[in-house]
Order: sequence, then structure tokens, then C-alpha cells
Amino acid sequence: MLKNYFKTAWRSFWKHRATGFINIAGLSVGMASAVFIFIWVQNEYGFDKSQLDSQQIYRIKDYLSIDKSTTWVWESSPYSLGEEAKRQIPEVEALTRVQVVTYQPLYFNINGEFFPETTAAYVDNAWFDVFKNDFLSGNAIAFKQNPFSIILSESKAKKYFANQDAIGKIIRIDSVDYQVQAVVKDAPANSSFKFGVFIPVAARHADVKQKENELQWGNFNYLTFLKLKPGTDIKKTSVKLQNILDKHRDQKNLKIGLIKLTDMHFENDLQDSGIIHGDKKVVLIFVILGVLLLVIACINYVNLTTARASLRAKEVSIKKIVGAGRRQLFAQFIAESALISILALVLTIFIISIFLPVFNSFTERNFSLSANSSNLWLIMIGTLLVTVILNSIYPALLLSSFKPLNTFRGTSVLKMNDSMLRKGLVVLQFTFSIFLIVGVITIYRQLSFIRSQNPGYNRAQTMSFSVPWKTMHQLNDAKRKAVKSTIKQSLLQQAPIQAVSLIGLRSIQNNDNYSSGSADWDGRPKGFDPAISYFSVDRDYSKLVKLNFIVGRWFLDGKSDVHNAILNETAAKELNLHKPYIGQRFVSDGDTGVVIGMVKDFNYRTMHDKIGPVVFKNKNTEYNTNYLLKVAPNKQAEAIKAVEAIWKQNFPGLPFNYSFLDQEFDKIYRNDAKSSRLMSVFALVAVVISCLGLFGLAAFTAEQRGKEIGIRKVLGATVSGIVSLISVDFIVLVIVALVLASPLAWWLMNIWLQNFVYRVEMQWWVFLLAGIIAVLIAFLTISFQAIKAALANPVKSLRSE
Amino acid sequence: MIKITNLEKFYRTEEVETIALNKLSMHVNTGEFVAIMGPSGCGKSTLLNILGMLDDPDEGSYVFNEIEVAHFNERKRADLRKHNIGFVFQSFNLIDELTVFENVELPLIYTGVPTAERVKRVEEVLDKMQIMHRRNHYPQQLSGGQQQRVAIARAVVNKPKLILADEPTGNLDSSNGNDVMELLTDLNEQGTTIIMVTHSEHDARYSHRIIRLLDGQTVMENIMV
Repeated sequence: MLKNYFKTAWRSFWKHRATGFINIAGLSVGMASAVFIFIWVQNEYGFDKSQLDSQQIYRIKDYLSIDKSTTWVWESSPYSLGEEAKRQIPEVEALTRVQVVTYQPLYFNINGEFFPETTAAYVDNAWFDVFKNDFLSGNAIAFKQNPFSIILSESKAKKYFANQDAIGKIIRIDSVDYQVQAVVKDAPANSSFKFGVFIPVAARHADVKQKENELQWGNFNYLTFLKLKPGTDIKKTSVKLQNILDKHRDQKNLKIGLIKLTDMHFENDLQDSGIIHGDKKVVLIFVILGVLLLVIACINYVNLTTARASLRAKEVSIKKIVGAGRRQLFAQFIAESALISILALVLTIFIISIFLPVFNSFTERNFSLSANSSNLWLIMIGTLLVTVILNSIYPALLLSSFKPLNTFRGTSVLKMNDSMLRKGLVVLQFTFSIFLIVGVITIYRQLSFIRSQNPGYNRAQTMSFSVPWKTMHQLNDAKRKAVKSTIKQSLLQQAPIQAVSLIGLRSIQNNDNYSSGSADWDGRPKGFDPAISYFSVDRDYSKLVKLNFIVGRWFLDGKSDVHNAILNETAAKELNLHKPYIGQRFVSDGDTGVVIGMVKDFNYRTMHDKIGPVVFKNKNTEYNTNYLLKVAPNKQAEAIKAVEAIWKQNFPGLPFNYSFLDQEFDKIYRNDAKSSRLMSVFALVAVVISCLGLFGLAAFTAEQRGKEIGIRKVLGATVSGIVSLISVDFIVLVIVALVLASPLAWWLMNIWLQNFVYRVEMQWWVFLLAGIIAVLIAFLTISFQAIKAALANPVKSLRSE
Repeated sequence: MIKITNLEKFYRTEEVETIALNKLSMHVNTGEFVAIMGPSGCGKSTLLNILGMLDDPDEGSYVFNEIEVAHFNERKRADLRKHNIGFVFQSFNLIDELTVFENVELPLIYTGVPTAERVKRVEEVLDKMQIMHRRNHYPQQLSGGQQQRVAIARAVVNKPKLILADEPTGNLDSSNGNDVMELLTDLNEQGTTIIMVTHSEHDARYSHRIIRLLDGQTVMENIMV
């Protein structure tokens, strides 16, 4: 019986293969999108769950209260807290710490060649005991014994040593040689710890000064993971940790908490993090998107199948007359939909295998389409089942319900409400498509707004690089200043370089360094310690980035201004500084001076964030190790060459690295640019699927109304008249969809825009534009069929009747 | 075999009510060959549909093999139908996507006959209808006469007690038409009851008895000699 179902299904598919291929193409595009989304979603929900004993592992988390309304949440804690916890808390079965290298890459020197390495982490000796890693070669024993060891991930080993055996190879970092002791498998896609390079914490602590610094209780440098005995009361353990910390810290403004390893991925209250996090809201949005894409793909099948129902009516009737029960016919149509869906799945797998690398680079994960990735296959089979169910139930019910008599007597098989349903489904498809088109336009507008917005400073032709902190750190203060000044002078002598500034932060953009509690001024209420961003700059800075002054002046040459401060507008406003601002006393970090100027606000963070108080200081501290250069137009290559030559003179054997502010700027909005690209892809998919469906329906309508068209032509109708006759019904549906989609899009895109403090407003013309795009695309789709029908020889359609 | 009493059937649209069968009574004995004749719209087809349990009457009684079936639900009727009744249509009504063999096999599939048995029975009946050489062809590839023979093969493959034929020669030339009538006569002689609706006096002469209908009522019965 089943064989018979599939045989009939196949022949019926083959007979109507044009429709069949529309069905399969639409379905597979929808299924592939859905599968991709669900792979990602499943991975997000499964983060760190495959880790051994994941339910027993917790991370210490700190809540630092800044003032009544502000709490800073940190993921890191003092190294010493871990030491004490291990000793004093009995329910701690194991404990491990990691410091993720985030601020600047490590520079690997392998046989004289430099490689910036951004995936490194310093781990203590217990790391490989607590977290399961698959050792491909070597082991953790030598790593634990020798501080200057390295363990590489498989892909890093391949990157640095190609096909050679990495074990025993030497990697120089700064001036110390490290030996590769082991190679471990790359972290799975659902791991929070995507480290490519492991170095023992002992290597950091080999430097006595650094060790002393890191063991201080005020230094929150390490992520600390505790493996607790099963059944441990987390609250009690937190209290114990709190007691240990409080014993060693004078200030009691810090509360300790514990977060489960498996909850870490969706942790969203951290100020800053060295590991990857996800956003539950985003995941939910994607689940909805995935389901909707699948639904609109299935709508095509349902619509095309039910539209063609009348063509199948004879077959159904005959089968009923010769004895088929409704159940058997129902099963037959389910089988047909299953066949189409399975064919679509084959194409889906093909699409997925082609786009998997793109998907991986986009999601920055490493998914594979191997036979043993059971999750992937489960998702595929799940998607297939959902597709079959969505596709089959209604058409099967409808088709199997035909009464043979009605068919033979020639009364209309299709009821009115059926074609209404079909129209409703088309409206649903286009509502979704138009919504996505509005989304694309809105995101695009916001991103170009960000790009075109005057940030309050000039980032064009600006290059930056940093002198090696470690090398500089070894010099005494006078020597250090002399070296930095020499470099500045040499830079200024280069023709392609127009201006140079030596600053404390790497650039002006995305500065999320701020501190609280060290500032004072006249009229400051007690306990009012707002977070302030400090910019440590020199006298050339303002000229270089072209800040706009409201009042006062910039720092002058010489020592006269070292204690003075320049504020931005927001600082003056939020600190409630007395007027006139100029000449007011201002203290920062115990350094008392006066306010000498106020600049207009500028976007030193992303446009997601509100501009806060900024204070410029002109102290040439040891942290001022970054040079900002203004490069003459079209002289970038020369400038880089010149800077590199100066670098080699001063820091021979050290890697030279530079960046341009424009590129940095793009990096900051990478996630937003990603959203925009993703939205475009989804919009394209939705539009393509919807149009495929429309194309099929239009073809069907043209066929069904062949006789009518023939008669009209005989009576003198023009081609354009007939094209509009067929098109107008569909265009009306798209317009209805526009009406439905607009308020929805308005509402949801406004929510998205709320993410930006500085943003565009929703405009009515966006909806009009989206509507015009949708109508145009729909019309082009339909007109192909409509014109074909209109040009057909009426004699043919009339004769066949 | 069949006994109907005071059968009534109406067709209603929003404005008009048409009486298709008006207190019609008749009976057909097992092994009989009955022809039903009458002008268009006299209710012939409606009667045949009710007899074939494709439709139910509004009033009256229909006893089939001593079972009252007038108010059977669709599933019961379908069940009774597939085991007892074969249909032959004017327009053959073969399924275009299925081969000759598969078309004939269809009723056996729905009555759950096992595969080996199906093949045997289909081949047997195709042989008998002299259409065996066309078993793998599709209906479009056959002449009208051949198609009707396939349709008859399909009607008899389940060995029904009753065959309902709705103008079986209507789409055929006279030579092919005569072949079909011969086939039906043969089947009747082997014991199958046949009820045939026809416009053709020529065809009606193959039957034992002619029932003439007008406006949904029996107006005359001729016993053939």
C-alpha cells in the first residue's frame, strides 16, 4: 500500500513537475534557513551543557555598588580569593582560574616571524582537571610542571606548525621561550571557552612584581570556577566566599555571587567579558524567524496543492468509487507531501553544505555537517516532520473530502472559504516579507546615520599604534619620557605625517574605561561619585582630532597645565559644576587643578550608549603609550612605512602593529552591520519564497481562466487589459499585507531602534517604499504568467473546452 | 437483490427545488440484466448513483441483499460498495497517472488483497478482456474501446455481485460498442447482475428488462423476450 502511495505521488509530482519544482525550491530554501537558525539556537541553549559535571560548576561573580543607582557587575575576582576558598570551604571539590587575554594580543615569535594571537588564556594547574579537554598529543603533566609551557588547540597547532608535530616546538613571547607541551581538540561550538592557546598562570607569576600585584585582594583579574560537591547550598557557599573577601578588604561595597556554568552564556549584566555571551531575546527572535520562514515556505505547498485540487478531483472520485476509504486517500496525500518534503530535504542538505562555511564565519562558530553530529540530524528530521505536518494536514483533509458525485456532476469542487484561505495565506507571506523589507530599510538607515553622524571629532586619515608597554615599563620615568619624546619628534619629521599626539588610550572611539570616586569639585554633594571617563592626552590632541570648543582653551605647552582639566558638556552638566565653569577647582586622583576649557560632546562610545562625563588631563604618565597620527591625504602607505622604520629603530625584534580609526569604527558596529546583513538575507529568502508561491498561483489562475481569457480576447480585450485582469487580484493581496505589516513593523523596529541612544526616527515613506518594492516584485512575478496567458492563441483555449 | 420503495431525491439550490426521483419503486433480481432508459433529466443517473451507494436518498427505502442501506453513513456505504458493486462509466474514468495494470489493481488494493493474489487476479481479468498486451500502457495510449475494456476489467476484478453501467457505449463507435455489450452479456451469463443506463435502444436489447423513467417515476417496464 505504501509503495503504491509513493508511486502515485511520484507520478503526480512528475506530471506537474513545474509546480513540483516550485514547491521543492521554496521548501528547501525555507527549510535550509530554518535548519541554520535552529542549529544556532540549539547551540545557544546548549552552551557548556556538554561539559563534564556542568551542573556542579559555578563561577564567582561580583556586584560592586558605585552609588545608590549604579552597580557594576564583574565576572572576575581576586586570584587570592580562589586560594583561600580552596583552603577554607570544604564543599569546594576543585577550583580553577583563568585570565583571558583580551586587551592586546600576545605576539608569538616563531623563528623570527611575528603573529598576533588573540585567543590566549592563562590557566592555573587545575584547569585541565576541571574542564574536559581531548588531548590529541602530549598531556597536561609537563604543562603543570614547567611554567613556560603552552598547550595549543588543534587548529592553532596547524596554523603555526602546519603538518609538523607541534610538541616540543618553541614559541617566544616577549623575550621568553615557551615550549609546546600538548595539542588539544578545538573547543566545541557550544563551549564558552574558545581558547586556542593555554599558558600556565605560573608564567605570569614568574615575574615577582607581577605576582605580588596579582595576589593583592583589590585586583580582580581572574575568572574563578568552583566545582562544588553535589547538593551544595549555593547561598551558603556565597556567604562563605563573602566572609573571606570581607576579611581581606577594607571597603564593604562588594557582594559575591555564584553563577552556574550552564547559565553563564546568557549572563547579561556584566560590564565587560572575556568570553562569548548570548542574548536570550535575540535567540527568541530567531526561533520566531525560523518558524515563520518554514511556515511561509509550507504555505506555498499548501496553496499550490489546494489550488490544483480540482485537477485531482477526478482521481479522488474514481478511487473512492472503486473502494478507497477517506483514511486511505488521506494517507496518500500525506505520502505525497512527505515525498516532496523529503526531496526538499535532499536539496536542503545540499544548500546547507554549500553555505555552511559562510554560516560558520558569520556565527563565528564551528558547525560541521558530519554524519555523527547527531544534533544536526535531529534538527533536520525535526524540520522535515514539521514541514510534512504543516504541508499535509490541510491539503490532505481537503482533497480526501471530495464527494465523487459532486465531481462527476461538475459542481464546483472548491468552496468559497477555501480560496479565501489561500488568499489569507498569501497575505501572511507578504506581511512577513514586507515586515522584513521595512526592517532592512530601517537598519540600513540607522547604520548610515551612524556613519554620517558628526561624532564631534575627526577620524579621517588617523592612524594609531602603541609602543610596547613591557619594554617601556622597564625604564625609569625620565628615560621613558625621553624615549617617547624622541619617537614623537622623529614621527613629526616624516613628510606623510601631519600631526602626532601621545595619549593614554589607544584611540578616541569606544572608550569604555571609566572610574568613579576619585574626583572632587566645589559643590559636590557627599556620596555623589558619578562614573567619569578620563582621557589622558597631550597638547596636540585637540588639534589632531579637531574637538569643538564651547568655552576656554586647550592645554598649553610646558608644565603649566599638568594639573588642570578640560571637560565635555555632559560632564559640566551632570557634575552640577558651578558657573562659570572656567577656573573652577577640579580634583582627580588627588591631583588638584582648575577647569580650563569645555568642549562639545563627542561620541567616544558607540551610538548605543549615552555620552557621559569626560575629563581630559594632560599628564604624561607611564600609561601614555599610544600614538595618534594624522596622515596626509593619499599618503597612507608611505606613512606606514615611515612609522615602521622608526619602530624598528627603537624596538628592534618587536612586532609592529597599527590601525586606522576608520577601521576601528567599523569594528565597533560589526554586530550592527551583521544584523543588517542577516536581516537582508532573511528578507531575500522570504521574498523569494513568497514570489515562488505567487508565481505558481498566477500560473494556475492563468490556466484556470484560460477560457475566460480566450473569450475576452475574441471579444477584443487587449494584452494589457488581460495582464491587469490577472494581476489585480494578487496586487490587492500584497496591499492588504502592507496594511497589516506596517503597524507591526513600526512597533518592532522602534523597539530595535531603542538600542541606540542616537537614532533615526521611523518615517512613513519607509513603509511606502517597502510597499512599492513588494508590489513591484509581486507584479513582475505575476506578469510573466499573465503576459504568457494574454499572448496565448484564444483558439486553443476555446477549442480544448 | 435490490428492492427500492417510494424513493425520493430532491436537489435544492437557493431558489429552486428539483425533484429528481419521485416516489420511485422497483426491484432487481439476482442474475438479471436490467436497462434503464429515459430522456435527459428523468433521474436515470440519480437512480444509478443511489443504487451504487454514491448518494443517499432523501426519503424511501433501499434494500440491498436484504439489508436496508438508505440511511447508511458514508463509511458503511463505501464498505458495502467496494465488496459488492463494480462501475462502468461512459467516459471510462481511468486514472491517467496509472498504467492499465495499476488501474485494474486499484480495487484490490483498497479491499486489502495481498500482492501475489492481486497480480494473479489482475492478469486473469486482463487476459479475459484481451488487453493483457497493453498492461503497462497508460490510458492515453489506448483507443476508446480498449479503455472501456480496461474499465470493465477494473469493475469486475473484485468479482462484484452487481455491475452498474452508465451509458457504457456512449463514447464508442458501434463496433467497439458491440464488443462492450458482448462482454457485459458474458458477465451476466456468468451470474453477475447488471443494471445499465442507456440512451440506445440497440444496447437495451441486450438486457432482460427495460425500465423507462420520466420525471423521476417509472412509466413502463418491457420484458425482453
